[in-house]
Amino acid sequence: MTFLSWPTAAVAAAIAIPALIILYFLKLRRRDVEVSSTLLWKKAIQDLQANAPFQKLRRNILLLLQLIVLCLILLAVADPQFRDTGRTNRRHILIIDRSASMSSLDGAADGGAPLTRLEAGKRAALRIVESLREPGLLDESGEEAMVIAFDTVAEVRQTFTSNKAELRAAIDRITPTDSPTSLERAYALASAYTGSEKFEEERGFVPVGPGATLHILSDGRLPDAERVRTSPVDSVVYHAVGDPKSVNIGITNIRATRAFDDPNKLSIFVELQSTAPEPLTVDVELAIDGNVVQARGINVAGATPPPPTAEEDAARAPTPGLGGFVFPLERSQGGVGLARIVVPAGVVDALPADNTAYFVFPPARRLSVAVVSEGNYWLQRALTSLSLSRVEFLTLAEFQRQLDEGRTAQYDVVVFDKVLPMVNPAVLAALPGVDAAPTVPAAAGGGGSAQPARGARVRGLPPGRSLVLGVVPPPPLGAKTVGEFDQAVIADWEKDHPALTLSGIGNVALGKGPRLELVPDTPVRAIVMGDKGPVMLEVLDAVTHAVVVAFDPNATYWPLEAGWVLFLGDVLTYLGEANTGGAAGSQIGTGTTLSTRLPVGSREIRLVLPSGERIDLEAGPDGTIAFGPVNSTGLYTVSWRGQATALDTERDGRAVRVLAANLADALESDTTPLPRLALAREVVSAEDADRLSDLTRRLWPYLLLAALGVIMLEWFVYNRKVSL
Amino acid sequence: MLRTTNTTRPTTLEELLSPEVAARISRLDITSRKVFSGKLKGERRSKRRGESVEFADHRPYVVGDDLRHIDWNIFGRLDRLFLKLFLEEEDLSLHIVVDCSASMDAGEPSKFLFAQRLAAALGYIGLVNLNRVAVSAIGSRPNDAEFERGESTPSGPAETGLVSSLRDLRGKRRLQDLSAYLMGLEPSGGTRFTDGCKRVALSRRGKGVMLIVSDFFVKEGYETGLRLLKGHGYDLFAIQVLSPQEMQPTIGGDLRLKDMEDGDTAEVTISAPLLKKYTQILNAYCNRLHEFCAQRDIVHMTVKSDTAVDTFVLEYLRRRGLVR
Repeated sequence: MTFLSWPTAAVAAAIAIPALIILYFLKLRRRDVEVSSTLLWKKAIQDLQANAPFQKLRRNILLLLQLIVLCLILLAVADPQFRDTGRTNRRHILIIDRSASMSSLDGAADGGAPLTRLEAGKRAALRIVESLREPGLLDESGEEAMVIAFDTVAEVRQTFTSNKAELRAAIDRITPTDSPTSLERAYALASAYTGSEKFEEERGFVPVGPGATLHILSDGRLPDAERVRTSPVDSVVYHAVGDPKSVNIGITNIRATRAFDDPNKLSIFVELQSTAPEPLTVDVELAIDGNVVQARGINVAGATPPPPTAEEDAARAPTPGLGGFVFPLERSQGGVGLARIVVPAGVVDALPADNTAYFVFPPARRLSVAVVSEGNYWLQRALTSLSLSRVEFLTLAEFQRQLDEGRTAQYDVVVFDKVLPMVNPAVLAALPGVDAAPTVPAAAGGGGSAQPARGARVRGLPPGRSLVLGVVPPPPLGAKTVGEFDQAVIADWEKDHPALTLSGIGNVALGKGPRLELVPDTPVRAIVMGDKGPVMLEVLDAVTHAVVVAFDPNATYWPLEAGWVLFLGDVLTYLGEANTGGAAGSQIGTGTTLSTRLPVGSREIRLVLPSGERIDLEAGPDGTIAFGPVNSTGLYTVSWRGQATALDTERDGRAVRVLAANLADALESDTTPLPRLALAREVVSAEDADRLSDLTRRLWPYLLLAALGVIMLEWFVYNRKVSL
Repeated sequence: MLRTTNTTRPTTLEELLSPEVAARISRLDITSRKVFSGKLKGERRSKRRGESVEFADHRPYVVGDDLRHIDWNIFGRLDRLFLKLFLEEEDLSLHIVVDCSASMDAGEPSKFLFAQRLAAALGYIGLVNLNRVAVSAIGSRPNDAEFERGESTPSGPAETGLVSSLRDLRGKRRLQDLSAYLMGLEPSGGTRFTDGCKRVALSRRGKGVMLIVSDFFVKEGYETGLRLLKGHGYDLFAIQVLSPQEMQPTIGGDLRLKDMEDGDTAEVTISAPLLKKYTQILNAYCNRLHEFCAQRDIVHMTVKSDTAVDTFVLEYLRRRGLVR
């Protein structure tokens, strides 16, 4: 047991106890009693007073009871509480999950009105704040806490302080978002404040300092929890919120695509997920521009319980059931639509945020493609066979001139065939992972030379949407070439990637090609892996979207197969739609950054959020605007004055582009809370948090009750003495 | 200790001296350890030579003696004239002094009630045996205090301390007078013990047995008073009446004790040590009174006011030789 403010109580005791005894003498009320003679009593008093100066205090039960009452009150002032050994740290970090799943309405019920998990978590956080030991008058070693709210982004809402009012206000200000979750970022932010580890030569990060207690207030749906490596000096307490029996039905994916051969055919794919144990038929309404055009019942499988094989399985939740359907539409013009779940009767849906998903589809149109090549028969033949609005074949010098003059925006996609233009490295330098000047292999053409001077232009990926064949851009918008291979086979690839679905890449045998190594923390990922390393990359950042085929297709049999043409068609559609704000590009996930490219020269750019709030934005040099992270689902409308692309609409003299933000995250829609949190170094059970909150019970109310009881006893004794 | 809550006084002789008690004590008689001269012929042997049938002594004949008392048998043997003396039988004087101060009106049962009943019982014994019985009440008369404060003039004799007295009762038919007098007494005021004793001693005509019934809680001291009474040659019995509450106090808490007689106050916080000390001092006080009395041939007895009067008379007083 510890006392939260014992110095205050000590000072109060030093004043109050002598005061009570003095007042007891001064204010003693005596009862008048007639006796036959005071003769003997006076003698007795004189004798006793001579022998015992404090005889008045001896065996005086009333004074004794009053002293007990005073001591109990003073003990209450000292604010004692039972402490758990886990609460030895002075500093506490409240890491509060505010992601989409925390909006589930299955927190602890409060008088019939269900609370969201976030509200339940905030209440738990407030209880922790209340239990913090406050610094006293003479003791400044109180406990302090900080507040971090996180979804995909972590924010410090309150730095370390012992001011409970500030902590309470910071907790109250946390609002839910519709974003996915990343505990790793939250912990990285927290560890920056704990100072529990320091870097030493040869030893790496070593634990230092007294450490802190990290209170994670979440439902446990933290996909990256296993990557969180906590410091040994820190202790982690997991406060689980949510009801494991709650059910959530949500849309986890929505996609609108036009048929490549007939752009008037629009297909809208809706994927559903359910955590209910039994299979369900869920009605889904499809609305275009506010009008319901189709409604259909979709069968969703029941959740599969985890196999009870290992002890850790208790921490695993059932695997949600899936269901999906493709709504076919015949529609040539563009528009905005939504798919809405009608929750079946008898099912209480925990999370409303994923019941509606928005999508934007462009009008049926054909792409404009530039091919920068020194001549490629197979490529030229394949592209001319595709249904494109325009294919322009340029030399590198011609494209470079257009690039320098800023005239490349007329192309939806640029295909670089074994060449790369010169770009300004200042753009690249701002990106992470640039530790050396990029180099371009000699094969890239143009006599690529190593180690250019600082500030000189280098060969690389220009902003925009590109398909790169037979050459690899340098990092950060590319990969590091560490050698060559003579032959390789395809080992793995993203089979559901829109560009690879029909490509038949798995059957391609590779000849000579570069051996690549990805640089961490760059916006590059491998979408096709060979047995010698990555062979096809996707580069995706705010201004650049490119698919890089590292090997030379002409050195394989791929151009002779149908898959080659299908790959080109799919990849150009995939890149082109993203470029023009099409179905793929206009779809953004919550928690990510809204980014779209407007025509150069756009002005008075305004973004209207789903809440109706208006935000003025400035476009970058290439016309790209960015806003984020996007925290709520809904439609985000960008309007500007200036040129509109063919896919934008015009309203009141302003070009308008609509982007749809959806949760569309299967992990967030799987709302079943986890009783245990598996971190990299330890598994934290929510039961420990319950035990902790039980043991940190403050005792002052019980002491005051006891004082009240003693006062009643004193009153009883007083009345008994008076009535003698 | 505390003032008597039930202040009902006996109003009839039966209440004062029940017939059962009277029947039990009627065969008793007052005795004295000394032989006193009486005033009237009675049943008690007197110091005087008289005319009873009981021979006492011889003395030589002198001229003028009654020739009828000459012992002719001795004259025949010795040829000298001797008078034959006989014992005289006279009455015995019994004087009962009742402390009538306010302090006697305390305890449950009241000390004063016990004193009244004891006086009635002993008076009855005296009257039945043709003794001369006198009863006096000592204490402050209601106007004594006023007189002392200068608010009035004394209505009685110059000496104060004697409330009233009833004298020369003899014979059973005076029992009504005795009981009426006792029932008319009301305890009030201070004790004025010394003055009362002095008044009793000076007003006493003749000697005899004197019984003083009091609690002897006298702030001025009981010594002078008792010395005065003893100095006049009485066969003195000091009966100290204490209430059970005085012997074992049951009060508690923080109290302001107020003296019933003089209004003096004492602030006390009753505690076990204080009660223990009080009991010690009370015992020491009683022992000192006992020693004082023993040194002066005064019979001292302490009695609790809840003791039955007949029991006290039959057992204790008989054992101490006041009655037989």
